[in-house]
Amino acid sequence: MQEPEELGESFRQSKREFWVMVGIWAFFAIWTVSYNGFFADGGSEGEPDILFGMPSWVIMGVAVPWVLAVSATIWFAMCFMKDTDLRDEEDSE
Amino acid sequence: MTSLISFGIYMVAVFALAIFANRAGKSKSFVSEYFLGSKSIGLWAFAFTYAATSASGGSFMGFPSLIYTHGWVLAWWIAGYMVVPIIALGLLAKRINQVGRIAGAITIPELLRRRFENRNVGNLATLLVVFFMFFYLMAQFKAGAQIMATLMEGVPVYESAVAGVERVTAGIPWVGAAEGDYLLCLLVFAVSVIAYTTFGGFRAVVWTDVMQGVVMGLGVVIMLVLTLAQVGGLGNATKRLGEMTPPQFVTVIVSTGEVSQEDRRIPRGEWIQLEGESKVIRLKSSVIITAGETESEKVEALKLTTPDEINRVLAGIDATSPWTATITGPEELYAYGDGKKGVYMTAPGPSQKDSGGFLGVMLALSFFAFWTFSGAGQPSYMVRQMAFRDTITLRRSIVMVAVYFTLIYFPLVIIFTCARVLLPGMEIHPDRVMPEMAALLTSNAGMPWLAGLLIAAPFAAVMSSVDSFLLLVSSGIVRDVYQESINPKASEKQVKKLSYLVTVVVGVLGLLAVMHPPQFLQHLIVFASAGLGACFLMPMIFALYWPRTTSRGVIAGMLTGGATVLVLYLVGFLITREFGEYLLLGLHPFVWAVLFSSLAIYFGSLSQKPVSGAIRLRYFGKPVERTKR
Repeated sequence: MQEPEELGESFRQSKREFWVMVGIWAFFAIWTVSYNGFFADGGSEGEPDILFGMPSWVIMGVAVPWVLAVSATIWFAMCFMKDTDLRDEEDSE
Repeated sequence: MTSLISFGIYMVAVFALAIFANRAGKSKSFVSEYFLGSKSIGLWAFAFTYAATSASGGSFMGFPSLIYTHGWVLAWWIAGYMVVPIIALGLLAKRINQVGRIAGAITIPELLRRRFENRNVGNLATLLVVFFMFFYLMAQFKAGAQIMATLMEGVPVYESAVAGVERVTAGIPWVGAAEGDYLLCLLVFAVSVIAYTTFGGFRAVVWTDVMQGVVMGLGVVIMLVLTLAQVGGLGNATKRLGEMTPPQFVTVIVSTGEVSQEDRRIPRGEWIQLEGESKVIRLKSSVIITAGETESEKVEALKLTTPDEINRVLAGIDATSPWTATITGPEELYAYGDGKKGVYMTAPGPSQKDSGGFLGVMLALSFFAFWTFSGAGQPSYMVRQMAFRDTITLRRSIVMVAVYFTLIYFPLVIIFTCARVLLPGMEIHPDRVMPEMAALLTSNAGMPWLAGLLIAAPFAAVMSSVDSFLLLVSSGIVRDVYQESINPKASEKQVKKLSYLVTVVVGVLGLLAVMHPPQFLQHLIVFASAGLGACFLMPMIFALYWPRTTSRGVIAGMLTGGATVLVLYLVGFLITREFGEYLLLGLHPFVWAVLFSSLAIYFGSLSQKPVSGAIRLRYFGKPVERTKR
């Protein structure tokens, strides 16, 4: 996928943002699936392991990454993503 | 009755917004205004229209029913929503908006057609949108009707109207087989949504979405507070959940010691003690003991297995109740989790049919990808991404939606795991757990009027999805078929009339199709989302980010993606004889569809001559270069 020289900066920036978003997704996908894959599986019976009113695996496997994912989203949207002029010829007429 | 009044106020507000929207858009070009709100949607409207459309009947009806049925494992199942805002809104929005403006497109098929200057691309996209979106509409209609039925239950005028509907429709094929209450509510719901969508167009849909988004958020927060107060705290609920074992499904005969000269009807949901045992069953459907008889026909029922639940239900059964039940057939046990304590607290969660449990690791990974990327690939969201005003609106909306989804989805898991403790035996009708829970919570709190607002939350979710889908399908037919292929010189008046007509016809067809929907709402929603995501996600990504993509590649990608989902659902049906997907190597069909679709686009594009330099420059070049052309 060679990029010709005539590609605009707005397109290149959008592409950079695309890959950062995919990276953020991959990080949290690996976290939740691997952590829960190991710790959410219920083999034993009896008194459940509870933390903050929830099964303990939910805290580290869902709640904590959820909070971090929202933080990453805020960073991405407010600090990394750049503004682009979306107007085109038709609009500006 | 008080809940009905507060619900009525909500409905009046929805119609008032549609009327204002219709007036606000009168001075603008009809097509751009009716289908895209003149591309001028601001921050609050854009964030809430996206969030409200995304949080459909699935989120407020199907999802709660799955939490109730399978327990805490649903927190893992829905975990992908932590990154849905950044992916579904961020991945394509900026480029879709930019390319859409350059192309002068109003719809997604139109954008694809102009991007590749190929009519076949647009026609195929329209066909796929209409096909898969229809399943989505069906699911939302079903959800809307069920919510109304719960709200209206016990209202005398409504009960006599239901009896009237049953009498009138009894002899009509297809229609007559549906239950009267469902049919009546379906009709009222469908007519309301079709009316305000037709009248107000996209702007009405967006404005009502904002209000509905607020109602949903408020509804969830109030439900969470009431639930935690009534269940004695989350820790207590989770502990009791840990002691629970899944119910069993049985066939029973209901009997009574007294002979009556009249037929006696025992309603669906009635709790009855088993003859000579300290056990209880709950009827899955209503049953009649005919005059002069002491026993009913065989009827399906649910039998509780958790001692704490059994004792609580037994304590609530009227000691003078004339009914007892006897099990007549074999007991149908859960394939995974039967008799296993703690199964509602851990993965893979109990499952009625699957001996491997509800959610294995591979399926969890599939859903993490599914929620995020299929969200990005939905044409109903893409079309909203063509409508925002500027990138500042987009950036702030991503943040708002991220916070909003956190406040909606995680609390829903908490509320409906607690629902297992407060509301036993809902497996007889799991899709109704949300409205039943709203009614129970507000009645226990002595505020029945609040039920109207709480039930308005899922209703708002359903309405805000149905209106968007209706508009999407009708825009596809009017703009992409009629204006493009049949009558390109159609006057604005003709297009306006046809847009109204098509919106009504599509709505009516959806209504007719949904009279006998499958049991689990979520199955339909997942199928439709997977189908649409499979058809549009990768073609759109390639079209926006890879200049070398060609029309042949995109057509191959759409067909391969859609076909993969259809084939894997067909295989699933052939194996289980029920509507559901086949998980090849444990992965959801959507994952396979994305993979095959990508390969098809890549090789399809390479097999064709690249698009012209002018097109590349127009959609990927520097703004100065673009304007020079």
